[in-house]
Amino acid sequence: MSPKLRVAASIALKEARHILRDPLTLAMALGMPVILVTLFGFIIDFHYKNISVSLFDHDKTPASRSFARSLGAANYFRVLPSEDARNPEHTLADNASFAALIINPGFGRDLDNPEDKPAIQLLLDGSDNAKTGIAMGYFQKAAALGLSAARGQRPPPESTPLSTRFLFNHELNSRWFIIPGLTVVICGLIGILLTALTVAREWENGSMEMLLSTPARPGAIIAGKLAPYLLLGFCGVAFVYAAARLVFGVPFCGSHALYALSCVLFLLAATAQGLFISIVTRQQQLAMQFAIVSGLLPSLLLSGFVFPVASMPEFFRYFTFILPPRWFMEISRGIFLKGSGLADLWPQLLMQALLCAVLIKLALKKFKTDLEP
Amino acid sequence: MSFILLKGFFKKELTQALRDKRMRLLIFALPAIQLTIFGFALKTEVRNVRLAVQGRADDALLQRVARRAYASGYFVPAETGADWLAALRSGKAEAVLAGPVNGTLAERMDRDAAPLQLLLDASNMQRAQQLETYMAQIAAQELAEYSGHGRAPPAPSKISVRVLYNPALDSAIFMVPAVMCLVLCVITIILTAMALAREKEIGTFETIISAPLSNTEILSGKTLPYVLIGLADVPIILGVAELLFRVPIRGPLWELGAASAVFVFTTVAIGTVISTFAKNQQQAMMASFLFMFPAILLSGVMFPVENIPDAFKILAHINPLKYFVTLLRGIMLKDMALQSFVFNLSCMAALSAAAVAMAVLRFRQKLN
Repeated sequence: MSPKLRVAASIALKEARHILRDPLTLAMALGMPVILVTLFGFIIDFHYKNISVSLFDHDKTPASRSFARSLGAANYFRVLPSEDARNPEHTLADNASFAALIINPGFGRDLDNPEDKPAIQLLLDGSDNAKTGIAMGYFQKAAALGLSAARGQRPPPESTPLSTRFLFNHELNSRWFIIPGLTVVICGLIGILLTALTVAREWENGSMEMLLSTPARPGAIIAGKLAPYLLLGFCGVAFVYAAARLVFGVPFCGSHALYALSCVLFLLAATAQGLFISIVTRQQQLAMQFAIVSGLLPSLLLSGFVFPVASMPEFFRYFTFILPPRWFMEISRGIFLKGSGLADLWPQLLMQALLCAVLIKLALKKFKTDLEP
Repeated sequence: MSFILLKGFFKKELTQALRDKRMRLLIFALPAIQLTIFGFALKTEVRNVRLAVQGRADDALLQRVARRAYASGYFVPAETGADWLAALRSGKAEAVLAGPVNGTLAERMDRDAAPLQLLLDASNMQRAQQLETYMAQIAAQELAEYSGHGRAPPAPSKISVRVLYNPALDSAIFMVPAVMCLVLCVITIILTAMALAREKEIGTFETIISAPLSNTEILSGKTLPYVLIGLADVPIILGVAELLFRVPIRGPLWELGAASAVFVFTTVAIGTVISTFAKNQQQAMMASFLFMFPAILLSGVMFPVENIPDAFKILAHINPLKYFVTLLRGIMLKDMALQSFVFNLSCMAALSAAAVAMAVLRFRQKLN
């Protein structure tokens, strides 16, 4: 073992002991992935079901009743009765329901009179626009069925000229979508936030200066400092992987080696970013806030985890190019769900390697210039 | 509690928090920047779907369907080459519209049940679901126009749909209150928790305790400046929301002020409680996250929580974020009724009182 490597190894050992001695921090670093997987896995759901609809039936005929019943039949809507005297808009303003269905008098009588003006009105709450859009789609289908139910007819046969195949997630399972993306968020959390914070702490209490005055080379110090966090990040990934496979039944179609490589690249980039933040701020509070803004929020919001990159305005689409989580997200979903290989993912991996190199270079440069008096 | 004492405390805390230029930037400029970035970038609308077309070169009708799709604004052209599956796998295309193989679309459309096929990358299942709806409509319309008779589903003209509060279904109107919640939460909880933990860590806390001050004086002197800092962010954020995103404020401003004040009180109290458990700043930060992640996720501020399991439902009711975001959306977009404003505000105030009580209790325990 070369002396440089030995120094790095002993610093890593010391750092690891340091982490182990503080069981609360360790528990939190390892507990965070558990909590995130539980929350995201069990709570977030993109299948909008049981959308609440307040019913204002001013017609009160068998036809209007079968329309309302048919609307509630498919589990997409939950029809709630309400008092006729109430203003339908108020049920939306007070969050009593997400939509209001108003059936005007004469609906049953004029059912087959094409000249008639609309006899049914649906009011939708637009404040959650994604849900509103999906509810509108549901309603179009449900209303067609409802009208034939009101007429006492059998529902018309499905008359779309298009058949759709959903590839890579054929059951449209929300978990398959969320869990592979979660590895990115957790790596970002451990890599950037924890590193930024712990290294900033050493600057704050002066132990970093002490370490620098020893004959150890700066490169070895950094390598030794960061190694345990890389390991911790890797534990996080391993946990998410196990949960994905064992608890949520997410398939893993691609190569494990490729995935591990991509993880290492991302964790290296993340810890380098954390180090850079800690050197620039040298203070835990600041380091924390900068790490959240530059690390956690982009991993969560700008990486395509939930909000697709392709839908962003042009400027922001190019802006995401400099974010390592954006590339790792594509790789993670690609390898987990699509079985993508090196031939598909080389551009993403290349970008990851490039950003990783830039971040390490930046951190090292900052570290070295700060050493000079 | 003497006023002069409190003033001194305020001055010292605010000077300390705002002394660093980077900290000032962080507290006052960053919320505005974040709101701008996330407000513009985060879109839930489907756009720029890379759609490739597979079929016979002489299939004019298929090309018409494709052109209609590209003209709709949802789709952009993509090339697949021969192997469409590889294109989907590498992400070159997100959707492939495939025409019939044994003839042109015009020939097959009356013979096959579904002559057109849409192959979708469903790894983002939410987007895939929306895509399917759009493409089905586009195809049905184009084919109906071509044949001139009713293959299209009968348009239910009996029915009118009206979207209230956000008729253009603009994402920003949804995002802006959400980001406001997030930013306030991150700033106040973490800043408070870490500032107090820091004093413990470097030992200045001992000095204050040994000074002739009552517990209440120390507690309020230490925490109220952060309430002030949090509240100072509210007009900044609202200004950006109004100027850049034209998010309406339909309700009275005092309601917005009252809701923000109660919320910031709650979050600062929560930050204080967290700091009493933490030995150092690192633990304070971790514990803040342990609170914030569930709080943010369970509130439905940004991510959909349609089918929360029953076990988590109780947590949703003791979540101050849920009430705050309901109030924000209610006041800004819906001009909510006074009655439901009062209800949501009192729920949040009750939680706030509980948090403050707990902070006082924990604080006293720690000091004695």
